[in-house]
Amino acid sequence: MALNLTRRKFLQTASLAAATAAMSGCFANRANASTPFVKKPFTAPGSFADTKTAVGGVCEMCFWRCQLVGKIRDGKLVKLEGNPKSIDNGASICARGNAGVKLLYDPDRLKFPMKNVGKRGAPQWKRITWDEALDECAAKLKGVVDKYGPHGIAMFPHGSSATYPMGFFEKVVGTPNISEASFFQCRGIRDMAYVATLDTPPDENVDMANAKAILLLGGHFGENVHVSHVKRYLKGLENGAKLIVVDPRFSASAAKADIWVKIKPGTDTAFLLAVMNHLIKTGKYNKAYVEANGVGFDKFSAGIAHATLEWAAKTCDVPAKQIKEVAELLAANAPNVSIHPGRHVSWYGNDFQRERSLACLTGLLGAIGVKGGFVKGKGPKVGKAGGWPKINEEHAEAHALHKMAKKHPFSPPGTPTDLIREAAITGKPYAIKGFVAWGQNPIQTIPDQEMTNKMLQQMDFVMVCDIMPTDITMYADILLPESSYLERYDMIKPGTQWDLSGKQEQYISARMPLVSVTAADHERKDPVWITNEIAKRMGLEKHIPVQSMEEKTDKALAGANLSIEQLVKEGGIHVQPGADPYGSVLKVNFFSQEVADAGFPGIPTYIPVPETPKGYARLVYGRAPVHTFNRSQNNAWLVNEMPENPVWLNDESAKKMGLKDGDRIELVNQDGVKSRTTTVVKVTPGIRKDTVYMAHGYGTMNPAMTVGVGKGIDDQSLITKRAVDPETGAHGMRNNFVKFIKNGKVLNIPA
Amino acid sequence: MSQYGMIIDLEKCVGCHACAIACRAEWEVPTGKDSAERERRRNWVKRLGPSKTPQGLASTYYPGLCNHCDKPACVTVCPADKVEATFTDPKSGATKKMEVAATWKDPFNGTVQIDKERCLGCGACADACPYSARYVNEEEGDPKADKCTFCVERVAAGLEPACVQTCLARARIFGDLSDPNSEVSQYVKKGAAKLESAKVKIGPNVRYYGNKKDMHLLTTTCTPQAMPQANLRRTIMAHMLKPAMDQVKNLGVLGLAGAVIVKGLSEDEKE
Repeated sequence: MALNLTRRKFLQTASLAAATAAMSGCFANRANASTPFVKKPFTAPGSFADTKTAVGGVCEMCFWRCQLVGKIRDGKLVKLEGNPKSIDNGASICARGNAGVKLLYDPDRLKFPMKNVGKRGAPQWKRITWDEALDECAAKLKGVVDKYGPHGIAMFPHGSSATYPMGFFEKVVGTPNISEASFFQCRGIRDMAYVATLDTPPDENVDMANAKAILLLGGHFGENVHVSHVKRYLKGLENGAKLIVVDPRFSASAAKADIWVKIKPGTDTAFLLAVMNHLIKTGKYNKAYVEANGVGFDKFSAGIAHATLEWAAKTCDVPAKQIKEVAELLAANAPNVSIHPGRHVSWYGNDFQRERSLACLTGLLGAIGVKGGFVKGKGPKVGKAGGWPKINEEHAEAHALHKMAKKHPFSPPGTPTDLIREAAITGKPYAIKGFVAWGQNPIQTIPDQEMTNKMLQQMDFVMVCDIMPTDITMYADILLPESSYLERYDMIKPGTQWDLSGKQEQYISARMPLVSVTAADHERKDPVWITNEIAKRMGLEKHIPVQSMEEKTDKALAGANLSIEQLVKEGGIHVQPGADPYGSVLKVNFFSQEVADAGFPGIPTYIPVPETPKGYARLVYGRAPVHTFNRSQNNAWLVNEMPENPVWLNDESAKKMGLKDGDRIELVNQDGVKSRTTTVVKVTPGIRKDTVYMAHGYGTMNPAMTVGVGKGIDDQSLITKRAVDPETGAHGMRNNFVKFIKNGKVLNIPA
Repeated sequence: MSQYGMIIDLEKCVGCHACAIACRAEWEVPTGKDSAERERRRNWVKRLGPSKTPQGLASTYYPGLCNHCDKPACVTVCPADKVEATFTDPKSGATKKMEVAATWKDPFNGTVQIDKERCLGCGACADACPYSARYVNEEEGDPKADKCTFCVERVAAGLEPACVQTCLARARIFGDLSDPNSEVSQYVKKGAAKLESAKVKIGPNVRYYGNKKDMHLLTTTCTPQAMPQANLRRTIMAHMLKPAMDQVKNLGVLGLAGAVIVKGLSEDEKE
């Protein structure tokens, strides 16, 4: 680099050479230094200096919703920190939480309502006024409703900002065609399988902090970060909990594990059945709990009797003695074991059965309501407010596609994604001609991008509301800019202290703006305002439940004898005495009559998945600690930490293929679909030969995302073969297979 | 006399990168690389492995920052003119006068600091650091060396360093290594290790604690094996600069000759 000592610098040096001063005060007062220049500070003053602290932030860099404070200088947010009053995340927040500042001030953020005067997928944008935008949205949506019925509208929502408009479309407009990514591409299978087995959705309610053993099936904490959740996990490990990680890859959790089960992908259910069968055969299960609370246990034990250690060893490609070791370790530490239900579980299209197996294993070990087991914290009661009245819900119910087709009886709320896409494309059993995406980016969320494209192209109208120009925004006819989680009132976040065995406390926090939304260079609006304005223009004004997000928040807080004003006084979080969460007992449907009556296996059953074709490896994806889904791809700080998503490849395979660590490659899948972009190879012994792995949430194709565009590979673009979990209708996304391409040459992956 | 230090507990660290981002926010550290291709960062996390070690397959992290070394290589190479500075021990109130260039090791808290006002932005210190803990911040037009300060400004205000505060794992422990009862000293007793090699022994005050396989992976891949070769060109220029600086100091005004010399240096470097 050049020394770049300019004349100005010299003058400065001249005057300063005689002067003194410094950050640590070791020099005499430099204020005496005379200089003809007004100097900019060379060092940032630090977030603690000359700032005001704004309280009441609730993070939405992911769905975990840590409580925040904002450090504000001259009206500008300079830093986010965990709210020190929090009994959940404390003063800690994760990388993404810390990087919220960069989302807030991202110059690529959507600023104004826009009209697409080009094509869907290849947009040309024209700035329009809010009135023009809202008039057009309302007229087009009403047009669809009038012509095709309310069910002619499909909505793909995500995040807390979508809750209010989702209520409007579902309850007032009356469409059942709502596809929440958090259900159909994520946790819906888990929730429904646990409801069928334990009569309650599990969330991630295992008391890891007080467990003696923890079993993770694909869980990769550290790469997957939710602050209080990881705190529980780490406290458990610190206290000596044994960690068992079942994963084809040596994940961040596998690296901390006592036992790493390097399982063949797709065979997890076989593994779990063998563990349970071994526990039953050797009498090492919790007989007292099972006798008192088990339903259909005899049928269950007979039904899984075939699942011997040897059978599972062959099926799962792991040693029989390791499966036995896992079973014995769990039994030795029962009932204080955390059988983690997982979160993103839409893997192979056989996932309901795997989740049922996890719930059954929890019951078999009696790991319910006890320290370390499946325990739900007892949170505070908070009122619900600002919900839409159920005007047209019956219509929605009657037009639910899965009910009409008598499919997917265990569908989570909403309608299975593929039924919506199929109906839209075929027009059967009815037409779907209006499309609303609100906070969700279906392009990178849902398998088979071409099918999504076909669905979108046949719509009469496509409306998208978001913060960033994600890939789906390229398909919008009208694109609406939304205020971020740092600029608006929003949801209530209740909970308990993070360690269930700690001092029993409850908290109530509410999302409040940390910075003002008023700015000269944009016209972003919050979801209540936008939805209400559309409702008015659709002639549905009389159903509007609240006028503002602030009113909605205040009304909800009133249900807990609180108010926004009071919450601010209390530092953004109200803390009150809690209740002992231990001692609950749940019935366990080992055999489920309900599931059997619906035509599915009533006993957890292993359903084999398609084998890996010769020359290919199975594409498995997961989380990067610096990204949430595909939502943070343009965050300059986060992108800087991990600019690409390297593809993990087994070292021995790489050697045979002539690939070295860091080689730049493309991928091509079993359908001949090639990645749009490139990434690098990560050569490691920490992955099976039949599997490759990459982090999800890279490779956006929207040039308006100037930081993230084209960085890494979009894993979803290679997931063209769809699998659908028959019980729930949720997707399975790990039945796709890839080869590598280097310098234009396709490389087979050796078996 | 204290020696501030930090322990990174790899048993706890989950590699979440929150420390790196909190630091960036706290001190407005720019992203990307400086014009000498150094990563612009005060604080970083590098994922290691999965790799084979004698103790089995391992994967861990290298959370790095300025080591505030006992014998900091960056301090001695600073070409800026020395001035007398008075340091005060916050505990005893004792004072000490030292001749310091634009970067120095504090005699009372053991941290290595930079005076941005007098830093020339030449990058000699950044080149000299075997841990690549310094970069040159060129954001405001005036290049200035920058690095971790152990957040002494926050510490003076009664706060934790930004990276420590945000760490959900409590994997970063900050404290006084000269106090045998401090938590950091307890970790030293348990065997927390320095990233030092036969040729790099400058007394880093950031230490790492972890199990055998993680420590094997860390020390074999992240310990600098040689002191950086001094950039001859930059060293020569730094020496040439000194008389010019002295002249400036003595005259108190910029001589034409000085301007010519410096202009020549600047162009020479660009070749």
